[in-house]
Amino acid sequence: MKSIVPTPWHAVVAWLAALFLAVPGNAQLPQPGKNAIAASLVAETSVVRPGETVTLALVMKPEKGWHGYWKNPGDSGIETQIAWELPAGLSAGPIQYPVPDQLIVAGLMNYVYKDDYAQLIDVEVPAAVAPGTRLPIRARVDYLACTDEICVPETVNVAVELAAGSAPAAQANRTLFDRFRQALPKPLGSEARFERASDRFRLAIPVPAGLELREPYFYPLTDGALAYAAGQTFSRAGDTLIVETDAPANAGSLPTVEGVLKLSDGNGLSLKAVPGVVPAAGAPLEHVAEQPAFDASAVLAALVGALVGGLLLNIMPCVFPILSLKALSLAKAGGDEGAAKREALAYTAGAVLVCLALGAALLALRAGGVAAGWAFQLQDPRVILILLLLTAAIALNLAGLFELPALAAGDRLAAQGGVGGALWTGALAAFVATPCTGPFMGAALGAALVLPTAVALAVFAGLGLGLALPFLLLGFVPALRRRLPKPGPWMARFRRLLSLPMFLTSLALAWILGRQAGVNGMALGLASAVLVGLALWWVGRRQERGGGWLPLAPAALAAVAAVMLVPTVASAPAQASAQGLLKSEPFTEARLDALQQEQRPVFVYFTADWCVTCKVNEKGALERKAVADAFAESQVAVLVGDWTRGDAAIGRFLEKHGRSGVPLYLYYAPGKPVEVLPQVLTPSRLVSMVS
Amino acid sequence: MKRMIFAWTALAVLAAPAAAAPVVGQPAPNFKLADTKGKPVTLSDYRGKTVVLEWNNPECPFVKKHYSSGNMQKAQAAAAKDGVVWLTINSGAPGKQGHLNGGQAKSFVAKAGARPTAYLLDPRGVVGKVYDAKTTPHMYIVNKAGTLVYAGGIDDKPTPNPADVTGARNHVLAALSELKAGKAVSVATSRPYGCSVKYSDS
Repeated sequence: MKSIVPTPWHAVVAWLAALFLAVPGNAQLPQPGKNAIAASLVAETSVVRPGETVTLALVMKPEKGWHGYWKNPGDSGIETQIAWELPAGLSAGPIQYPVPDQLIVAGLMNYVYKDDYAQLIDVEVPAAVAPGTRLPIRARVDYLACTDEICVPETVNVAVELAAGSAPAAQANRTLFDRFRQALPKPLGSEARFERASDRFRLAIPVPAGLELREPYFYPLTDGALAYAAGQTFSRAGDTLIVETDAPANAGSLPTVEGVLKLSDGNGLSLKAVPGVVPAAGAPLEHVAEQPAFDASAVLAALVGALVGGLLLNIMPCVFPILSLKALSLAKAGGDEGAAKREALAYTAGAVLVCLALGAALLALRAGGVAAGWAFQLQDPRVILILLLLTAAIALNLAGLFELPALAAGDRLAAQGGVGGALWTGALAAFVATPCTGPFMGAALGAALVLPTAVALAVFAGLGLGLALPFLLLGFVPALRRRLPKPGPWMARFRRLLSLPMFLTSLALAWILGRQAGVNGMALGLASAVLVGLALWWVGRRQERGGGWLPLAPAALAAVAAVMLVPTVASAPAQASAQGLLKSEPFTEARLDALQQEQRPVFVYFTADWCVTCKVNEKGALERKAVADAFAESQVAVLVGDWTRGDAAIGRFLEKHGRSGVPLYLYYAPGKPVEVLPQVLTPSRLVSMVS
Repeated sequence: MKRMIFAWTALAVLAAPAAAAPVVGQPAPNFKLADTKGKPVTLSDYRGKTVVLEWNNPECPFVKKHYSSGNMQKAQAAAAKDGVVWLTINSGAPGKQGHLNGGQAKSFVAKAGARPTAYLLDPRGVVGKVYDAKTTPHMYIVNKAGTLVYAGGIDDKPTPNPADVTGARNHVLAALSELKAGKAVSVATSRPYGCSVKYSDS
C-alpha cells in the first residue's frame, strides 16, 4: 500500500510547484506589421446631438509581457501622443488615463499598464453642426510599447465614424464605457499640501481616518516632485494621510504637484497639492509601497492563511454537517484502509477542484475588470437563491425527510467504490462553504486578488486543501478514526441535530436574498424553497416504497423559473451612509423619479468613504437631531449615492449636474426646480431648506 | 565574488559619494572606464576642458532617432570643433539589449559615423548609477572647472520620431554655445527621455 499512496501526493505537490514556477515566457519581438500593443478607437455612441460631448476610448491591448505607459511614464518611457484629424468645429479634450501600475526594472521605475486599458477622450460637437452630418474622426496615435528588456515605438492610424443626430442616441457601448470610467481616478476635491525638506518630499492628503487603504501609492503627474524609484512611506494623522519619499536630485521649486493616489487595486483619487505645512508622520501604515508585494514570505503567509481558513471552515455550520456525515460513513465502512485513503483523496480532490474553479472564475472576472470580492458569487441574487435551495434541501435531508444516494450506503454512487461519492461530497463542501469564507478568509483572499494569477490559484487550492485536511487525516491516520464515536443509533439523532445549523444557513441566505432582491425576491426564494421541500418530502415517501426522484422534476423546473425571475439588480445598501438619525435609501434615478411622482420632497446626497468634506458634513450637519426632526416633520425622503468605488450611474448623474466628484447635495421640493446646496452644510441651512 | 570585487574597486575609484545623484552646480563625480580598446579613461584627465557625457544604447529607438537623423553626430562634430570632449557611455549589462563589447562598440562608432572623443564601456552600470543615468540618451555637461552644469534630455521633443529633430531645442548644443560665450547655462536641467538604461538586475 505504501508504494501506491505517495503517488497522488507527489502529483499534487508537483502540480502546486508547477503553479508557482509558471513564469511568463520571454516576450518575443512583435511580428512585423503587428503591434505589441493593439490600439483601436471606440465611441460610446455613434450618433451625437450637436452641442453635446461624445466620449471616445483608445482601447489598448498589450500582448503578454508588454506594457504601455501612463501620462507620466516614470524614469523612462513616453506618454501617448494623438494627432487628431477632426471635422471642422469639433475639438478633442486631453487624454484621461486610468490608474496605472508600478514596474521596477533594474532599479528604474516605470508607471505602466500591463493589462488591457482604455484612455478616454471627450470630443465636443458644436451646436452649429446640422443633424445628419457625417462626422468621420481620424487620428494618428504614437505610443511606446516595452517589455522589461526592450522598447518599440508604435504608431497606429485609428478612425471612427460618427454622425450628428437630433434624437438622443442609444448608448450602445455604455456598459463598456462604464467600466472604462470606473478605472479612471476620481477627483479628490480637497486640496493636498506638500513640502520639501532636506532631500525628502512630503505630502499631506486629506482622506477620512476611517478609509481603508490596502496598498496606497502616490503616482506623481508632476515631474521633478519626487524620486520615482524611491520607496514611499505612508502614515496617518487623523483625517490626513502623509506620504514621505525621496526628492529627486536637481529638484527645483514647484508651484503645484499633481498626481493620483492609488487606494487599492484599480481605485484611485486624482489630487492637486500646493506648498504648505505637512504634519509630522503619524501612525505608520504597514506598507512600504516600494514595488508590488511579491516576496516569498507574503506568498507563504497567504498560503498558510488560506490553509488555516480552510481548516476553520470545517467547523462552520454550513460545512460541519457534511464533514461529519463523511466521517460517519468512513467509520461505517470499517477497516478497509485502501478504500478509506482513496475516499479521503477523492474528497480532497473535489474540495480543491471546486475552490480552484471558483478562484479561476474570480480571476477571470478580475481580469475582466469587474470589481468582485471573494463572495462575488454572493453578489448575484440568483446564486444566493441557488444556495438557499441547496442548503434547504441539505437541511431537509439531514432532518431525514429523504435520502441522498451519494450519502447513503448501498446506493448507486456509493457503489462506485465510494470514490465518486467522496469527490462529489468534497466539491459540495467547498461550494457550500463559500458563504462562510468572507469573515475568515478576507485577508488571504484579498492577497490572492492582488497576487499573480498562478499564486492566487495556489491560494485557492490551499483553501480547498485546508477544507479537506481533517477528512484527509481521518483517511490516512486510522488512529484518529478509531477515536471517532462508534456508529450507532445516535448517528441518526446527531444527523437530525446537524440539520439545525444548515437550516440557520438557509435563513441567513434568505436574509441576504431579501437584502439584495427586496421583499419580493425573498418571498420568491422562500416559495421555491417550500416547493422544493414539498417535492423532496414526496420523494422521501416514494423512497420508502422504492420509488424514484420523478416528483422533483416539476419543483426543479419551478426553482429554475424562480432563478430566472429573481430581480438581479442588487440594491446594495449605501455603505457610506451613516446608520444614524437620518433615515435614507440608496440612490437610484428611478427611485428619485418615483418619490417626485409622489409629490414628496427629496433630499439627495452623494458621498464616498474617501471624501473628508462629505464625512464632515454628515457628522456636523446631516446627523444632527434638529435636522432629522425637521426632515421627518416635512416628510423629506433622503436618498444617498455612494461613489466610493466610482459607480458609473452615479458618475453620470454627477456629470449631469456639472460635477466631476462628490460631495453633491440636491433638494427637490415638489413643483420647484432642483436646488443645489453648497458643499459645506450647516444644520440651520438644512432645517430652513425643508421648512 | 570576482564581480563584487570589481564593483567595489570601481566604486573606490570614484571621488564623489556614490549614494546621491549628481547635482547641477556641484562637482561632477569622477570615474574611470575602459574605452573600446580597453584603455582606461578618467574624467579628471579632462580638467580644463568642457566634457559632454552621452548615455548610449545603439538599439534603443530613441537613440536611433538621433543617430539615423545624424543629429547626434552633428552635435559631436560641433563639440569637437570647439575642443569639447565627448564621452559616449554604454551602461547596458551583458545579455541585455544594446550591450556592446569593445569590438562591437568600435564598429558601431565607425558605422554610425559618430565622433565621440571616446566610447566607454560600463557593463556593470557603476558609473551610470552614480550619475543616475536613467534613459538613453541621457546627457550631462561638465564645465572646465569640473562642475556639472547640465543634466537631462538631448532636446525638448520627447518622441522616437526622427522628423521631430527639426524644430526641437537641442539643450546640449544650446548649453555648449552658452558656455563658449562665457554665459551661464539657461536650461540646466530637463527631463531625460528615451528607453530605460538596461542595467544589470543584480
